[in-house]
Amino acid sequence: MKFLSAALTQVIGLFVADWVQSAVIVVILAAGWLAFGRVGSATLVFLVLLLAGQLVWFARAEARRLAAAHKGD
Amino acid sequence: MYQQLFIFGAAFLGSAVESTEALTIVLAVGLTRGWRAPLLGTAAALVALAVLVVFFGQLIVTRVPESRLKLLVGTLLLLFGLRWLHKAVLRSAGAIELHDEDRVYQQTVGALIATESRRDWVGFVLALKGVFLEGLEVVFIVIAVGGTGRGLPVAVAGGLVAMVVVAAAGVVVRKPLARIPENTLKYAVGVVLASLGTFWVAEGMGAKWPLDFVSILGLAAIYFAASRLAVVLIRRPVLA
Repeated sequence: MKFLSAALTQVIGLFVADWVQSAVIVVILAAGWLAFGRVGSATLVFLVLLLAGQLVWFARAEARRLAAAHKGD
Repeated sequence: MYQQLFIFGAAFLGSAVESTEALTIVLAVGLTRGWRAPLLGTAAALVALAVLVVFFGQLIVTRVPESRLKLLVGTLLLLFGLRWLHKAVLRSAGAIELHDEDRVYQQTVGALIATESRRDWVGFVLALKGVFLEGLEVVFIVIAVGGTGRGLPVAVAGGLVAMVVVAAAGVVVRKPLARIPENTLKYAVGVVLASLGTFWVAEGMGAKWPLDFVSILGLAAIYFAASRLAVVLIRRPVLA
């Protein structure tokens, strides 16, 4: 049972480290999908920039959180 | 041809990183408790992983329509790749510690010594669990990278070659492969998988990329630039 639980946690952990970040990525993709039907290929540019932008944002936010936690120790 | 090479390379690199981590656990068990139990555990895990590849590989290739497959697998690949890239950025910026195979090896040996009085099944279970859990990532990479681009045999070959190379290196040096630039490899694989995921998810939406598969190089350049920007911003001292 422990093994199955570890395997399930591992499978979810493959895709999700931070639930908020994962939700933001899915929302960006859903918005891109909706926009693609109306705007066309120009959507690709915004899609890629938003995905790259969230990487910078969330990495910086986590680094700040970790630094604050270190200071608190 | 170019696409097949890219798929082989992505599967090879991703599998090599995970195989290195699995090898550390098997070596720690084998060198501490003897080889019979960990080798049996490894074999059992490999059989289970092979069944997963054959079952899910065939299922998604034959049953799921291509556009839906690209959307679904592209999304999962993007989440997976961005998670690796996110961690690689934090490691590269010094916000979290680098992955160290020597330390993992010592921790596993320490855990084995603490359970010395138990029977040999501990070695079997540790190897089975280590190889199976690390192997799940290999299975996902191989199926996601190969299944969507109609290159499953090439991706499986990339994964298998990586496992054989890493296992052979482990047999020769008989200690954790700490010299492999694992963190750099994870960074590179994160960029490649995030790019591939973006490419497929957009194709799943019905988009056509300029220059087709070649545009993945452009996507990789954008993700790499974004990750370096994140590293610079994290390292920059905050002005009070």
